[in-house]
Amino acid sequence: MQYSQVDAEAKAISRKFDVVVLLSTFLALTAGFHVHQMLVAGDWSFWIDWKDRNWWPIVAPIMEITFPAATQAVLWTKFRMPIGATICCLGLLWGEWMNRYINFNGWTHYPLNMVFPETFLPAAVVLDIVLMLTGNWVVTALVGGELWGWLFYPTNWVMIAPFHVPVEYQGALMSVADVINYMYVRTSTPEYLRIVETGTMRSFAGGVTGVAAFFSAFVSVCMYVPWWLMGAHFFGSTKFFKTYEHAAEARKY
Amino acid sequence: MAETQTATALARPPVTAFSWRSAGIAIGALVVFDVLINVYERLFAFSKGLDYASADYNNYWLGMLFAELVLEAVTAGALWGWLWVTRDQALERLSPAEELKRYWALALFVVTYTYAAYAGASYFTEQDGTWHQTVIRDTDFTPSHVIEFYQSYPIYIIFGVGSLVYAMTRLPQFAKAFSLPFVILVGSPAMIFPNVGLNEFGHTRWFMEELFVAPLHWGFVTFGWGALAILGTWSQICPRVVSLINHVYLGKPLQSTAEVMKDPQSSVDPAACAALAA
Repeated sequence: MQYSQVDAEAKAISRKFDVVVLLSTFLALTAGFHVHQMLVAGDWSFWIDWKDRNWWPIVAPIMEITFPAATQAVLWTKFRMPIGATICCLGLLWGEWMNRYINFNGWTHYPLNMVFPETFLPAAVVLDIVLMLTGNWVVTALVGGELWGWLFYPTNWVMIAPFHVPVEYQGALMSVADVINYMYVRTSTPEYLRIVETGTMRSFAGGVTGVAAFFSAFVSVCMYVPWWLMGAHFFGSTKFFKTYEHAAEARKY
Repeated sequence: MAETQTATALARPPVTAFSWRSAGIAIGALVVFDVLINVYERLFAFSKGLDYASADYNNYWLGMLFAELVLEAVTAGALWGWLWVTRDQALERLSPAEELKRYWALALFVVTYTYAAYAGASYFTEQDGTWHQTVIRDTDFTPSHVIEFYQSYPIYIIFGVGSLVYAMTRLPQFAKAFSLPFVILVGSPAMIFPNVGLNEFGHTRWFMEELFVAPLHWGFVTFGWGALAILGTWSQICPRVVSLINHVYLGKPLQSTAEVMKDPQSSVDPAACAALAA
């Protein structure tokens, strides 16, 4: 009886440590991933009129496979937890929504239709499943990385489709997203700064999206490898620098 | 890993030693503070913060900037100094039960740090994007910077460095050797604050418009990567905590404190936590 009580106490304390580890890991990953994402792909995430067929499907996936790959490297190899990509993308989505709702919408009064973030959750679940099923990070890079790039646009399409509908506005043909852009002035982000739909091939209409996803998938594979390695050998390292005593002893010989 | 039985009797810490109270108070206070800061911004950012040359700006924003910088310096000095002055100078004699309690305190310290890091690096940093993409900047000390750069960043640095100093002064694993992931976890995000110097110089020299993905901002990105080192930090701590629980509650053998201090690497058994998860 007494042993059972002690055992229960041990389990309870172990669970408490679990909670604190998971909570702090979630918050830290949210902090690091979000500051990374907003400063390497943020403009495409902030505004509906930046969510184009040409650059958004390239920039967002290749910059955001980074933290998921590094996190998978630790959570899978050390803990056999196939949730590395999903926990990162969930944290990112939460961090983005907190600000889009409270500040973009609540403080500077842009409509949520204009500032809602993209989601990587479907692609992240697939990336985690590929790792879980194969148990091999190289295969995950090759197959999961390809799927990561390919899946991004279709899994966000439901949200952005209504804003790509063509409309005639003051005699010009444009998308609903463009009209929203003209209606809500961004003082410090003028229209000429937008990196959307650039290049001549875009005149082939929908064809550009497939090419963009193809390219994005290729770079996602290439990005996955160094980020897995950095996660496994640097950020997930358990190395201690030598103690002063050890260093002094080593010098004697 | 060499394991030796310590002479300590299996004294169990009271259940109350593993309370959420201190982290609840700290994180609760930070949340309330952050809400109040948001209210202040809504009241006075657009109404008093758009003209650097005005008396209102001076009263409502520059005054706040100076006050927070002084308070942060005093708080950092007091907390880090107190942790150092009250350090444990007899760690070789630390009992397993006390060591386990201290790991719990460290865990709460780290979770408070990560909340503060979330508030600074995620919430207030994108809030700054909201501000800049709406308003033309006329000063480096624009209202959102007074909050983001000079308030939210120093707050997480105070907690981050505090957690590292706590570990180095009270836990055998960290007493005699630097932990690579823990130093990255604290040091890399802390470098975001000095990087503000580069950012502000760049904006002063080059940019009035606000392309958020401009290369000038990538210093913040690189230092933000350090948050990933929480994975390595917990991977170091987890095996020792598991060993301590097993020893204190189940009477299993434990590597002695002196051995851990002499060779902290030997206390990190990568299989320990994987076995738990299996």
